Amino acid sequence: MTADHWGFVLSAYGIAAIALGAYWRHLCRRDRELTAQRSHAAQTAAHRRTNPVSPVQP
Amino acid sequence: MNRALGWLAAVGLAGGLVMAFGVAPREITQGNVQRIMYLHVPTVLVAYLAFAVVLVASIAYLWRRSPAADRLAHASAEVGVLFTGLTIVAGAIWGKPTWGTWWTWDARLTSVAILFVMYLGYLLLRGMIEDRERAARYSAVLGIVAALDIPLVHFSVYWWRTLHQPPSLLKPGPATMSPEILAALLVNIVAFVLLYVYFVAKRATVLRREENVPA
Amino acid sequence: MTYARRAWIVLWKDAVTERRAKATLNALLFFSLLLLFVFQFTLGGDRERLVAALPGLLWLSFVLTGLVGLGRAFLVERENDCWDGLLMTAGDKSAIYLGKVAGNVILMLLVEIILLVLFAVFFNVDIGQALPPLALILPLGTVGFAAVGTLFAAMTAHVRAREILFPVLLLPVQIPVLLGAVKATEAALAGEGLGGVTHWLQLLGAADVVYVVAGLLTFDALLEG
Repeated sequence: MTADHWGFVLSAYGIAAIALGAYWRHLCRRDRELTAQRSHAAQTAAHRRTNPVSPVQP
Repeated sequence: MNRALGWLAAVGLAGGLVMAFGVAPREITQGNVQRIMYLHVPTVLVAYLAFAVVLVASIAYLWRRSPAADRLAHASAEVGVLFTGLTIVAGAIWGKPTWGTWWTWDARLTSVAILFVMYLGYLLLRGMIEDRERAARYSAVLGIVAALDIPLVHFSVYWWRTLHQPPSLLKPGPATMSPEILAALLVNIVAFVLLYVYFVAKRATVLRREENVPA
Repeated sequence: MTYARRAWIVLWKDAVTERRAKATLNALLFFSLLLLFVFQFTLGGDRERLVAALPGLLWLSFVLTGLVGLGRAFLVERENDCWDGLLMTAGDKSAIYLGKVAGNVILMLLVEIILLVLFAVFFNVDIGQALPPLALILPLGTVGFAAVGTLFAAMTAHVRAREILFPVLLLPVQIPVLLGAVKATEAALAGEGLGGVTHWLQLLGAADVVYVVAGLLTFDALLEG
């Protein structure tokens, strides 16, 4: 009976899992970063609206 | 919507694994190493799907100048390159125990390698043009030329390998495709296509959101 | 002004510029001669091996010389601030593409013919009977190369790292043309005639048509900015 080479099978599937998983995590992280940026920008804009910088010296 | 797609892909992949290792039988001539086929064939089919989408999206962009078409082309090319790379790696790992060598210049592997390099070049071009609109236009032209080249690559490489060479290499599939093998293959193909759609949707969304970030 | 006339004008302008400067043709010839020397030194003195590899070496020389030559395809316009002139051309800009490709094909064919003769002389190969088939193969391969090369040269003209990006983009796409040209040249140099390689010639012809049509349709999009 021919040898089964399970090592090769697991390597192939393993590398695929790692590569696909890493890409997925990269996309999720980028998504989170963009959400954080957007909420930060929104917060800053809201802050500026409620606390306008006055050009006139008190 | 995208999250549901992600879960669907995950379920599909799990089902695919069950089919590949549980349901599909042990192949007669190659043994269990043949199970790599349930990974290798779906990834190459998804790669071709991805590049076909790049072609359509590129034509759509040049015709309509729609930013959505451009984002789709970009995302699909990126995911396509990923799956092409996986195809080559899985193919090489499969080849070592069955053919005795990591790499061989057979028609299939060579064609896929050329595909990989072409679309890697596409991503490189995109990375090197700062102006978004110009990058979209130029990559669309490259995407179209590369896709038109695919049949030419296939014929030339196939003739190059087979006309003066005896067909000496094992076919990737077993001698006959029993229903279980076919079913396992189909489940895995569907699962990987779902994964492709999920990845492209997510990547395109990231691209869209990146465009809205104030400089 | 008719389409054909516009293409002809571009070709004529390039030819006249070239005749006056002679820079490109001379440099390319010199470069290809040096390649010939390099092949002799790197592949050793074994004449049998060199002659056996001759089809591949010939097309390797053509490709390498072509990369250098085509990479400069829009250099004149770029360096002399004429790019905007191209952008402002009225009507169908693909006429410019046709003129450019024609010019590049002629330039490359000139270099290739001279190189072919030099190879025959330096490596003492009799190419007499191979000349009729080669008269068909060389243009078929060169048109395919120039068609995509001119398109990609326009694409990379304004991109960072254009010197490396141009060959990186062009070479993979050119593999079918390279394979076809080398296989057909093998048959020609072996004295077999073209009967056995008609499928390769058809592939070259198909590739030429596909590339030129694609170039004509997409060149406009490259020239918008």
